[in-house]
Amino acid sequence: MEKRAKILRIILFAAVTVILARLFVIQIIEHDAWVARAEDEHIVQSTIKAKRGEIYMMDGDEPSVAVMNETVFTVVIDPLTANEEKTKSVISSAVPAEKMVADWKDIFADKTRRYYIVARGVKQTEVDKIKEAELAGVYYTKGNARVYPEGEMAASLLGFVNAEGKGQYGVEGALDDELGGEDGVLKTVTDVNNIALSIGDDNVRVPAKDGKNIVLSIDKNVQHKMEQFLKEQIDSTPATNAAGIVMDPSTGEVWAMANMPSYDAANYAKVEDASVFINVPLESAYEPGSMCKSFSFAAAIDTGKITPQSTFNNKGYMTVDGWRIENAYEGQIGTITMQTGLAYSLNTSSMTALMRLGDSETEITQKAKDVLYDYYYNKFGLGQYTGIELYEVPGYVTKPDAADAYNSRYANMSFGQGLTLTMMQVAAGFSSVINGGEYYRPTIVAGEVTADGTFLYNQAPEAVRETISAESSATMREMLRGTRNLMRTYGIDKPGYMIGGKTGTSQGIKDGKYTFDETVASYVGFGGAEGELPKYVIMVKIWGENQKLGGEADARPVFNKMSNYMIDYLKIKPGEAHV
Amino acid sequence: MRNEYVSRRGMTTNSWSRNQNTVRHTGKSLGNLSLTAIFGLMVLIVGLIYATQGVKATSYDYELSNIENEITELTAKKEDLAVERARLTSIASAENSKVAAAMQDGNASGYASE
Repeated sequence: MEKRAKILRIILFAAVTVILARLFVIQIIEHDAWVARAEDEHIVQSTIKAKRGEIYMMDGDEPSVAVMNETVFTVVIDPLTANEEKTKSVISSAVPAEKMVADWKDIFADKTRRYYIVARGVKQTEVDKIKEAELAGVYYTKGNARVYPEGEMAASLLGFVNAEGKGQYGVEGALDDELGGEDGVLKTVTDVNNIALSIGDDNVRVPAKDGKNIVLSIDKNVQHKMEQFLKEQIDSTPATNAAGIVMDPSTGEVWAMANMPSYDAANYAKVEDASVFINVPLESAYEPGSMCKSFSFAAAIDTGKITPQSTFNNKGYMTVDGWRIENAYEGQIGTITMQTGLAYSLNTSSMTALMRLGDSETEITQKAKDVLYDYYYNKFGLGQYTGIELYEVPGYVTKPDAADAYNSRYANMSFGQGLTLTMMQVAAGFSSVINGGEYYRPTIVAGEVTADGTFLYNQAPEAVRETISAESSATMREMLRGTRNLMRTYGIDKPGYMIGGKTGTSQGIKDGKYTFDETVASYVGFGGAEGELPKYVIMVKIWGENQKLGGEADARPVFNKMSNYMIDYLKIKPGEAHV
Repeated sequence: MRNEYVSRRGMTTNSWSRNQNTVRHTGKSLGNLSLTAIFGLMVLIVGLIYATQGVKATSYDYELSNIENEITELTAKKEDLAVERARLTSIASAENSKVAAAMQDGNASGYASE
């Protein structure tokens, strides 16, 4: 008997020892692993998504939302547990057909598949209707979608948000950090129903920081009109593409930045031609052509080398570095004024202005190149980033001491070839030519709308630098008005308003050579009341592959329509009529 | 020995004796079983209080979760309405509206003509 008890004691001792040893292993040696495993079971860590900021445009003086957020749901079915007839009936009546992403026959064909997405982008109200039916085997996944109430308006400017929630192109891409905000963190103990419990020592809740609601200086009415006029022009000419800018020359605020054709940002994945994502006024540099005569003439006038009445002998061409550079317009041969030269857009006139910058009548000196570059690059900001808040390309202006700073290149640069500029650079530089000589950094962000709906307007921009004197600017306004009117005599614009502008028709480049088989048409101009500084600057660019388009015939009509609209929209009262 | 009480008035009244029902206090203590039971009860009470508080906190968590779900749903509905409002007040909607279709074109300003 005692022997049996002894054996039992030994067995018990051994068992207890094994248990204690196992407990030691679990509680001491594998402590961390078991704690982690336990936490995995009942502690949930999730991201609190920051609400992406909305994008507003101006509607007159008030911000108007252009890009919004919407909570949408993905409806998922478990075919095994869902009742086919009832589920089909309820969901079909609650969810619009365009949101269905699966065929009912396919959904219930394979019941081993327990997760079938049947609809996307479903609204809360639609989900509520399904929930009322208390269907088994139907689940919902919450998500967010960007909504564009104005449809395709300004799509290339605004950009879009991809499936990962990242801003792409345009405002969405360039201001992604500001719009995106900062996600928060939630780490909490949950029960079997996955309800977050407040008990627990390690609960963490870092609230999300919502993105900023950005207000663009773009006025949706001006933007809409610009897009409408560009589209009309494309429809009535061989052109396939067009872009336009409207801006305030006295602040640098951009009121419209249009690209045609546009696209539906809500369905960006269906876009076949990715070139529509490019915001041309900022992201495409080109040779703008004769509009640049505004800059070369402004430089020559500001340095006192020419006046509108200065004369030169127009032979119809000039030979530079052995290259014969001709005028597009073959008339006005002989001694003519610089005003006439600008009005007929004679290349010989801008080359003469360039030569005179270097105190010469017959050749392009180093001094001429230095001065022209100083005005182009340092003053008018051509061939460099403007500093606008969005993506942009710098373009290119050859430095006067560069190896390829040939005289012929600078001769071309005087009339807008041999250099690449963005529309924004031209419009901003042109604004300084006609606004009294002050350069404003172009801007497209007007302010923000706070969480409580208050509109905080950014401080009024200040001029960055002086480009030309106020007198030179006044002279340029007159010259540009004359240029706009001279070919058709004065009178195409309403009395009491000062409207001026300059065409640009630039040759395309094919196989590394200039060609007249494809030309890009441009027009840049200004408008305002007579006797006052201009109130708006408009730039238009229109083009098409293998199409010959002219600034006068194809771009200027868009300016005309837009200029008339702006006079009405800004309620500009006429000044004293020009005589 | 018998004490006799004499009144101050000098009148002898009935004989009176002191109260003999005195109480004797003796030290008493609870037994081990009682102490254990009391301790157990106290632990039970504290445990119950803790459990009650825990359940109460959890019920608040459920309430909170329900409220949060409600907020989410209402926010989604508010967003839907805001989107609808924005769409209805968009330029495209305004241009394509029946009201706009019934309007007559104004005279063209024609400030610039070709």
